[in-house]
Amino acid sequence: MDTLVLFLLNATWQIAALALTALGLALVFGLLRIMNMAHGEFVMLGAYAPVLAAQWGLPALAAVPICLVLVGAIAWLVERLVVRHLYARMFDSLLATWALSILLRKGAELAFGRQFRNVAAPLDGVTRLGTVGYPTYRLAVVALVLAGLLGLWLWYRRSATGLRLRAMVDNPALAQAAGIDTARLSAVAFVAGCLMAGLAGLLLAPTLSVAPGMGLDALIRSFFALIVGGLGTLEGLGLGASVIGGLQSGLSAVFTQTAGYLGVLVLAILFLWRRPDGLYPGR
Amino acid sequence: MKRFVIATILATGFAGSAPAEVRLGVLVPDSGPAGLFGPSSRQAAQLAAEDINATGGIAGEPVTLLFADVGVPPAQAVQSVQRLWRAEGVQGFVGMHDSAVRAAIVSQLRGQVPYVYSAVYEGGECAPDTYVTGETPAQQLAPVIPWLAEHEAAHRWYLIGNDYNWPRDTNAAAQDIIAASGGAVVGEEYVPLGSSDFDASLARIRASGADAVLVTLVGGDSVAFNIAYAAFGLDGQALRLGTLIEENTLAGIGAANAHRLFASMGFFASIDSEAARSFDARLHSRFGAEAAQPNGLGESLYDGLMLMAALGNAAGSLEPGAVAAVADGVRYSSPRGNARLDHNHVAQTIYLADGSSGQFATVARFDTVPAGVSCE
Repeated sequence: MDTLVLFLLNATWQIAALALTALGLALVFGLLRIMNMAHGEFVMLGAYAPVLAAQWGLPALAAVPICLVLVGAIAWLVERLVVRHLYARMFDSLLATWALSILLRKGAELAFGRQFRNVAAPLDGVTRLGTVGYPTYRLAVVALVLAGLLGLWLWYRRSATGLRLRAMVDNPALAQAAGIDTARLSAVAFVAGCLMAGLAGLLLAPTLSVAPGMGLDALIRSFFALIVGGLGTLEGLGLGASVIGGLQSGLSAVFTQTAGYLGVLVLAILFLWRRPDGLYPGR
Repeated sequence: MKRFVIATILATGFAGSAPAEVRLGVLVPDSGPAGLFGPSSRQAAQLAAEDINATGGIAGEPVTLLFADVGVPPAQAVQSVQRLWRAEGVQGFVGMHDSAVRAAIVSQLRGQVPYVYSAVYEGGECAPDTYVTGETPAQQLAPVIPWLAEHEAAHRWYLIGNDYNWPRDTNAAAQDIIAASGGAVVGEEYVPLGSSDFDASLARIRASGADAVLVTLVGGDSVAFNIAYAAFGLDGQALRLGTLIEENTLAGIGAANAHRLFASMGFFASIDSEAARSFDARLHSRFGAEAAQPNGLGESLYDGLMLMAALGNAAGSLEPGAVAAVADGVRYSSPRGNARLDHNHVAQTIYLADGSSGQFATVARFDTVPAGVSCE
């Protein structure tokens, strides 16, 4: 019984962490049709925000504004200089953002050094759920992710900006003709997607090894979740994260971690081959 | 053509007038997964060269170091070695890199140039004119596991490592040492390199009832494992022993997650000895703000160069046949302590350190521990 509860908690954590990590990638792809290969590096930059806050002797909460400013400024620059010129050129944007990811990784090595950084968890200790103890910080992150995703979904469905975004996704030319400033909306969407990635890095930093190369893992796992779930919708993101996170947790628990990774890879290949639109194709 | 002729005259002119010197190739990981250890490796090597030259060099001639990056695939690393050897006239190599690169270098050099390998490794290297200063599993575990059984009541061991030969060979050695010390192995598992999710392993460790965990995960994997380990409160159930947890890895794990985390190596920056303190002080005075965090992997190049110098001085040159004839029993000293070449490995001091405070504090010291490698 305890084993089952622990497994379910672990699977929930993996799914929540994956959904959080993949959110920015899904947002940018869903709204702009840009596969942002530098997504993982924005996660990495976000994870360095608490490192900088500690270095500058600031309170832990200062990491949030540092993350928003650091990631926001870089994302805005990237949109201006690179991404803006590549909308609707999917392959070019993929190559350009891949180059960008290398640049950001090397830049982080120069700015922060190559060593591992530790980020202390703001909540430590273990919460008892019945007879099973689970890390308190992980439970808090799971709750935050659930609330955040629900809020985002409601906002996208109900707000005026959400409506304009959906109009732009459906038909950019028509949306522009109807007086929607799609260039500005696109820029905002790209920066918002990168900020989501940065916040994911910030939230997950206390549970990860923080180093300049950490972004690649985040990108690959996010990519798998989007392939399986279907590109570009929140519902697809939730489904994809659940299938990938759940499968990996399950196979790792029953067999080994190797089986877990193998299962995820095989599933991703099968989806790309047989069902490229994913489980929830949306539109 | 004219430019070529001038260049040739200049080159031969300089070569002719150059003072006699011993050129040593120093192979360090500037790039790749071990790139973190590039700066500390280079700095340790530079200090060693200064010390060697201050005491008369090798056979009376000053030492010059030529560095090459071997944090690359073996085929590329071998090209750098060939260039240093054939084009730059390097007379001996000292390297800190992975075993795949070592195997490639050994097969290129074929005993025509002495080669000292200084990294922590799995043991078993017996090629001619190849000398090893790095800690072997037998050295890191044979004195330490009985000590932990006696002082920390560690009897039921769980072994977890990355899935390649170093962790597997370390655990094979651990199996015998644990059995000999009256303990038992209650679990053994390997995870792919680059793993970040250890939840399933942690559940298995809890269920196994282990009171000690031998960690042979490397780099970021080790950091992620140890953070999650402490988050689940497993540090109360079982102590951890790592054989490749050096200062950078411990900093990534963080003090909050390091309760009862032990490490066994031949060097820690905090070793309480005159030689170690002076090494640390000199790193800072020589390199200032650029001084890299001293650690057992980077410092090992100091040992490697000291052994190379001791070999050359004992033989009167770095001619491989002459070196091989006098090698066994050659002694040198370093910030680690005193070491003696025992066949082609080194009997050396091993330290057990407790990282609970976020900084290593040595709790036990074992002198003249044999490498446990027999090349007969």
